[in-house]
Amino acid sequence: MRASWIAAGLLPLMLPTTSSFAQQGPIKIGLILPLSGTFAPNGEDTLTGTRIYFDSIGNQVGGRKIELIVEDEQGRPDVGLTKARKLVENDKVQILAGFVSTAVALAVNDYAREKKIPMVLSGDAGANELTMPGPLYNPFIVRTSQNGRTPAAAAAAFAYKNGWRKVATMTSDYAGGFDTIGGFAQAFCKLGGTIVQEQYPPINTNDYGPYVTNIQSGVDGVVTFLPGSAGLKFVKQFDELGMKAKYPLMDIFGQIVYEPFLPQLGDAALGIYSTLHYAPTIQTPENQAFVAEYMKRAKRIPSDNGADGWAGAHAIADAAKAVDGKVEDTEKFLAAFRPDKFASPKGNISFDKYGQLIQSMYVRKVEKTKEGYANVVVESFDNVDQFWPMTEAELESYKYRYSELKGSMTNCAKVLEKK
Amino acid sequence: MIWVIHTLNGISFGMLLFLLAAGLSLIYGLMKILNLTHGSYYLIGAYIGSTIIAKTGSFALALIVAPLVVALLGAVMERYFLRRFHLQELPQTLLTFGFLFIFADLTLWIWGGDPIVLPKPAAFSGSISIGDARYPTYRLALIGVGLIVALILWWFQERTRLGAMLRAGVDDAEIAGALGIDVSLLFTLVFAVGALLAALGGVLGGPIIGAQPGADFEVMLLAFVVVIVGGLGSLRGALIGGLLVGLLDNFGKIFFPELALFTIFVPMAIILSFRPTGLFGRL
Amino acid sequence: MARTLLFIALAAVVFVALPFVVPSYYVSLTTKILIFALFAMSLDLLIGYTGLASLGHAAFFGISAYTIGILSVKLRMSEWVAFPAGLAMAIVLGMVFALLALRARGSYLLMITLALAQVVWGVAFGWRTMTGGDDGLPGLRRPAFVSDETSFYFLVLALVAASTVVLVALIRSPFGLALQGIRESESRMQALGFNVWRHQFAAFVIAAAFAGLAGALYVYYNRFVSPDFLHVVRSAEVLIMVIIGGVGTLLGPAIGAAAIILLEDIISSQTQHWLLALGIIYVATTLFAPRGLIGLYRERFMARRKP
Repeated sequence: MRASWIAAGLLPLMLPTTSSFAQQGPIKIGLILPLSGTFAPNGEDTLTGTRIYFDSIGNQVGGRKIELIVEDEQGRPDVGLTKARKLVENDKVQILAGFVSTAVALAVNDYAREKKIPMVLSGDAGANELTMPGPLYNPFIVRTSQNGRTPAAAAAAFAYKNGWRKVATMTSDYAGGFDTIGGFAQAFCKLGGTIVQEQYPPINTNDYGPYVTNIQSGVDGVVTFLPGSAGLKFVKQFDELGMKAKYPLMDIFGQIVYEPFLPQLGDAALGIYSTLHYAPTIQTPENQAFVAEYMKRAKRIPSDNGADGWAGAHAIADAAKAVDGKVEDTEKFLAAFRPDKFASPKGNISFDKYGQLIQSMYVRKVEKTKEGYANVVVESFDNVDQFWPMTEAELESYKYRYSELKGSMTNCAKVLEKK
Repeated sequence: MIWVIHTLNGISFGMLLFLLAAGLSLIYGLMKILNLTHGSYYLIGAYIGSTIIAKTGSFALALIVAPLVVALLGAVMERYFLRRFHLQELPQTLLTFGFLFIFADLTLWIWGGDPIVLPKPAAFSGSISIGDARYPTYRLALIGVGLIVALILWWFQERTRLGAMLRAGVDDAEIAGALGIDVSLLFTLVFAVGALLAALGGVLGGPIIGAQPGADFEVMLLAFVVVIVGGLGSLRGALIGGLLVGLLDNFGKIFFPELALFTIFVPMAIILSFRPTGLFGRL
Repeated sequence: MARTLLFIALAAVVFVALPFVVPSYYVSLTTKILIFALFAMSLDLLIGYTGLASLGHAAFFGISAYTIGILSVKLRMSEWVAFPAGLAMAIVLGMVFALLALRARGSYLLMITLALAQVVWGVAFGWRTMTGGDDGLPGLRRPAFVSDETSFYFLVLALVAASTVVLVALIRSPFGLALQGIRESESRMQALGFNVWRHQFAAFVIAAAFAGLAGALYVYYNRFVSPDFLHVVRSAEVLIMVIIGGVGTLLGPAIGAAAIILLEDIISSQTQHWLLALGIIYVATTLFAPRGLIGLYRERFMARRKP
C-alpha cells in the first residue's frame, strides 16, 4: 500500500520509458564527449563533424529518423560511465559514439560489452589495444579515428627516409604518450635509426625551458608528442631558446601545429613536420566541401577530430542502411561496418576485421600560403591499417608493450626484442 | 653554463609564481579569505590581455587594462558577496568555489577552449647569448618586473599610510576599526589589489603559462603552494616561497625527471610537516 | 523522538522499495548517491565534529579503490582479500596523514592535506605498471553475489545504513562528545585532561576508514579506477557536498551529496553550461542558506514553531 503510494509519488519525477515500438522509433545515438574542461575543443570538433554528416543525409536513414543525444563526460571516466548508463538505460540509445579520452572509453568498454551496445569511437580515443586482440578488445567497438601508433610509424618512415638517424624525443608523460612514442621507437629502430635521448615532461608542465635546454646536442631531429597546450608552450620555448634554428622538428599527431595554433605561432611554426591521418589542405572534393561547410558552422578550420566525427557518422549511417534501419540487431549491424568503404575528407577509408579504420597517413609541413600559415601535405601513405607497415603477426611477435619501454627506448636491442 | 640557464629558468618562473601568489597572500593576511577564484583572475586577465593584444597589438595596453578590469571584478565580489561572510571560512569556500565554476564556464563561452599563449612584447621577444646558449630576454624582463612589483609592494606596506593601516588591519582588524581606520574600504581596496596582481600575472605569465580551460585551477594550486610554503599573509614569504618553488621545480625536473610529478607537492608536504605555518607564516 | 523514528521508517521503506518501482538507471544513480553520502559523512566527522578541515579526503577514497583494483585485476586475488585490504590501506594512509598533518590548523591543514593527497595522486598517475596511469585500471569484477545492479544496490544500502548507525553512535559516545569539545576549544579540553592529539588522530583515522569504505564501494560500482578518484577536484567536490548540506549535521552532507549528484546529472543533460548553472547554485546557496540545506530547513522549521 505504502510502496505503491511512494511509487505514484516518484514516477512523475522520472523520465518516461520508451514505448515497445522501438523499431519504428528513431535511431538514437548517444554521443559521449568532453564539452567542458581542457578537451572541450576536441569534443566540439567531433560533434560538429558528426552533425555535418547527419544533416547532409537529412538526419534519416533506412526509413528511420536519427536522433543525437549529446552528453558531457567532463574529462572524467566515472562521469563518462554514468552518462553511458543514462544514455543506454534511460534514453534507450542503440549506439554509443564519440569518446575523446581513452580513459573514458576504457571505463565504458566493459559496460558496453555487457549491454551489447555498439561503441563507435569517432573521437580521439587512441589506445592501440582497443582494436587489437587482447584483454581490452571489445567486438562491439568500431573506431573511425586512429590508434596511437600509426601516425608514429609514419613519422619514423618519413624521418628515416629523409636522413634522420639519431633523434631526441619529447613526449607528454601519460599513457597515450607511450602508445605513440613507443610506436615511433619500434618503427624507427626497425629501420635502423636510434633514439639517443627520451624526455617526458609531465602533462600540465608550464615551463618547458628546462626540457628544451636539456635537449642533447648534435641530433638529426627532435620528435615530439605533446598534446593540448603542451605543444604550444613547448614550441615557443624551442624557438626562443634557439633550438628550432638548429634541429628539425617532427610533431607526431600534429599537436604543435594544430590549426588554431598556427596564427599564434607565426614564423615559429614554419617548417615543422607533422604526421596525422588528416590535413585540412587535402585537395579532394570531399574535403573541400567539408572544410567549407565546417568553416560556415564553426567559424574555424576543422581538425582531425571534425573529420573523424564525420567519418563516424557516415559509417553508422552506412551500416544502418545495410541492415534496413534495424540497428537493434546488433550482430548484423556491427557486421555491416566491416565491408563499408567510402571517400571521406580524410581520403578513402575502409575497415579491418577488428573494426579499426584503414586510412591514409599524411606527412605535413607548415608553410606560408596565400591563406596564411597552413599544414601542407608533403607525403602520404595510403591504405594504412593499424599494424602498418608490419603484419599483425609481426607486431604481435615483439616482446614489450610500448608503456614498458619508457626509459629504454634508446636501446634498440630491447625495443626490438621478440617474445 | 647550462647551470646558469637552469638557475635563470628557476628564478624567472619563481618570480612569476610570486606575482601569482602575492595577491592571494595579501588578501589572506588581511581578511583570512582563502580565495578559490584567484586562479580565475589569472585566467580572465590573460584572456582579456590576449584580446587587447589581438585588437591593438599593444602589450603595454593589455598590461594596464586587463588588471584594472579584473580589479573591478574583485572589488565587486568583495563588496557584494564575500563581505557578508567575514571570517566564515566554509561559506567563503563554497562562494568562491561557485565563482570558480561560473568564471570557468564564461571564459570557455567567450574565448573558446583552444589554448592560447600570449605573444611577447616586441621589445622582449628576442634572446641574448649566455656562453654558447641563447636565453630569452622576456624571461630576464620577468625577473626585473617581479623585483619591481616586490619593491612597490614593500614600499606600499612599510612606507605609506595605507600600508600602515593594512599592517594594523592584519594585526587586528577590530582594533584598527576602533582607531578610525575605514576597514571596509581597506578590505575592498586590498581585495581589488589582490585580484589586480593575479591578472597582472595573467598578462605577464600569458606568454609562458598561457590561457586555457583548467589553467584557473592549475594556477590556483600553484599560488596556494607558494603562499603556504612561504607562510600565509606574508609578502616576504610569497617572494621566497615563489623563488624556492620555482627553483625546486626546475632542478627537481633536471635531477629527478622520474619524479617530475612530485617536485612541487613533496617539498611542500615536507616543509609543512616541520613548520606547520610555512617558512614565514604565523597562525 | 517519534518524529525521528517515523523519518527512519519512511526512509527505509523508500530505499527498500526503490529498485522495484524506478527504472534501472535511477537505481544505479541512487547507488552512486549512497556511496557519496557515506563519503561526505566521513568528511563531516572530521570537519563538522572535530573541527579539522581537509582538502585531501579523496586520497583515502582513492587508495582503497586502487588497492582493490590492483589486488583483484593485477594480482588476481579474491574480493575477500582485496576488500579488507582496501580498507586497511585507507586506515594506514589515514594514520600517515594524521602524523604529518595534525600539527597544522585551519588553512594550513587544508593545504597540507591537499599536498599529501596530490602526492598519492602522483603515485597513482605515475606507477603505470600497477595502476595503468591515467588510463586507469579497468576490468574489475563484482563479487558474484552482487553482480546485478539490484543486489549491488542492496549491498551498498546495507553498508551505508550500517555505517550511518555507527557514525551516529560514535558522535553520541563520550569519544564523540570529546571531539566536539575539542572543536570548540582545544585548550579547554587539554586543561580538562583530554589528550587532544590522540582524539584528533583517532577521528582522522576513523574518517579515513569510512572514506575508504566509500571508495571500495565506488570501485565495485564502476568496475574500474582512475587517478581522478583521488584528485584534488574530488576532494573539493566532497567538501562542497558537506558545506552545501550543512557542516556538523551528518544527515546534511548526505543530502548535499544527493543534491549535487542529482543536479549535475539533470543540468548537464540539459545544457552544456552546467558549470555556470552549478556555480550560480553554489553562490545562491551561500547567500540564502549559509548553514547549508539542513540549516535552512531548521531555521524555517524553528521559525514556524515560534509563537
